[in-house]
Amino acid sequence: MPLSPVADRRLVQMDPAHGRFRVHRDSFRSEEIFQAEMQLIFAKCWLYLGHETELPGKGDFLTRRVADRDLIFVRSRDGVLGAFFNTCTHRGAQVCRDKRGTSKSFTCPYHGWVYNTEGKLMSMNANRGFPADVNADGGLNLRRVPRLEQYRGFYFVNYDANAISLADYLAGAKDFLDLMCDQAEGDIAVVPGEHAYGINANYKFLCENSYDGYHLLPTHISYLEFLDEQSKLSGKESAVAFLVNEYGKKGRGRGLGNGHGCLESWVASGRPVAQWIPAWGPELKKEIDATRARLEQRFGPERAGLIADVQKNLVIFPNLVINDNVGFTVRVIEPVSATSMRVNAWALAPVNESPRIRALRLDNFVSFLGPAGFGSADDVEMLELCQRGLLHAPVEWNEISKGMTDADPRTASAGPDDEAQMRAYWAQWDLLMRGQPAFSTAAARVA
Amino acid sequence: MSAPAPSRAAIEEFLYHEAELLDQWKLPEWSELFTDDARYDIASLDAADPLTADPATTLFVLSDDKPRIMARAKRLMKKTAHAEYPHSKTRHITSNVRIGPAAGGDLPVRANFVVYRTKGDRTVHYMGEAHYLLAPEGEGFRIRRKRCNLDLNTLAEQGRLTIIL
Repeated sequence: MPLSPVADRRLVQMDPAHGRFRVHRDSFRSEEIFQAEMQLIFAKCWLYLGHETELPGKGDFLTRRVADRDLIFVRSRDGVLGAFFNTCTHRGAQVCRDKRGTSKSFTCPYHGWVYNTEGKLMSMNANRGFPADVNADGGLNLRRVPRLEQYRGFYFVNYDANAISLADYLAGAKDFLDLMCDQAEGDIAVVPGEHAYGINANYKFLCENSYDGYHLLPTHISYLEFLDEQSKLSGKESAVAFLVNEYGKKGRGRGLGNGHGCLESWVASGRPVAQWIPAWGPELKKEIDATRARLEQRFGPERAGLIADVQKNLVIFPNLVINDNVGFTVRVIEPVSATSMRVNAWALAPVNESPRIRALRLDNFVSFLGPAGFGSADDVEMLELCQRGLLHAPVEWNEISKGMTDADPRTASAGPDDEAQMRAYWAQWDLLMRGQPAFSTAAARVA
Repeated sequence: MSAPAPSRAAIEEFLYHEAELLDQWKLPEWSELFTDDARYDIASLDAADPLTADPATTLFVLSDDKPRIMARAKRLMKKTAHAEYPHSKTRHITSNVRIGPAAGGDLPVRANFVVYRTKGDRTVHYMGEAHYLLAPEGEGFRIRRKRCNLDLNTLAEQGRLTIIL
């Protein structure tokens, strides 16, 4: 185990007796701490790579950077998904230069070494000069990522061969993935198209923001006003009034074990499965109500309500967000430095939904989310304000105390506009950064 | 007898007028340039063909009908549209205007664009090709369709697309 350079520093301070939880601001600005995170967190945790529906056919591949390593994610000619480091075992050149495609093999452009879709070295482009058994041990094949596992079609890699299983790692997050996937009468798939953008802030600011129910009114008031105008709502009926008067009364934020957390909230912003709003018109009401009725037949009214009515913002430690709210989205946060990140986001959707529901779903997504959305861009501004503010001030601590109790922060629960889910993240982060045992394999059923 | 075809000068003048409204942050006036059935779209930067990509079946970066064009303009004038507070300084450069043959009364027009955006001490740029469908109206035009295809693979440097291209 690498020696933690911060083992003796208490970067996370928990003081339940006084209802306080603080994180030292060096955690957002120190390059030394960032490098330690790469070793102590990103080299040990399960990291999202992609969804199986992105590679439907044999030979389909895509290239992605995952925690500063360039990977090839490929479906072999036998139909099996594999993950490899995108580097020729000869001199290191990237053997795949395309973002995605379909291929029978990968040929290094430098000296012409050829690998098949299972990573096996098929040709060294030479008929002399190498011993006949040069690759007898397979050491010259494309290097496979130590672990690749999936849950409900979401594929993750782990750079630690000895890591616990993905299923154990996901702990209570599995139940929320189930709730999200069960909205589909059939499979879910990634819709073509992506959002890819940079943010000049520490990656953990976006993790926090992605399930923050406390910021909605001040940060997103202009989006709420847009919703009200779109649906011609005013007074007590308005989204603004709901946020002020009702939001905190129902729902919760909670830790799900192993650093994961979820915000569950009731905001009637409309959901294709299955919560109609007036702005969508009477024609769609029939279809959405019918979907809701089938959902109740499949799962009973209680679970149907959890699927259809509850907005879920799920953060899977350390850098994956799967949200099922105004959109159904996968957001991967790639740390770049202590003060910058890159974000990739995709839209998920049930394969079998009707064309008009699909169109509505995507329109809902793009109205709020992404670099031109009426919501995400304002979030990004807040994160960059945080980064600039704490870089240039001697203040030492960030407060994450709202709704603090003396329960174990990794599984504690509080209101939707409290900060329990973030404390779950930070408690896990703290254990890993101090080199302490952090992974629980205890089955956590929460939903 | 049909009306004479609009002159290149009139079309270019209209595009420059649009750019000026944007650089002066006269966004409500800008939104009035659009027809009631208008669309303003930016496809995913990794779309195989951003010109024919469909926002009903693929994820777009931006996909506005007329009500949302107006809502976008209205929102961006608010102090609570935080991403653009204070407003970025922008400069829209429009060039290489190509005018297609009229189709059903509308004029397809393509133009190259570069937009510089400065916020704080940071300047980024957005460049690409804008595809317009202009509807002649009286002495001028309205915009029935505007689709901006960016020559970018990601917004890693630009971060956001909160200005109007």
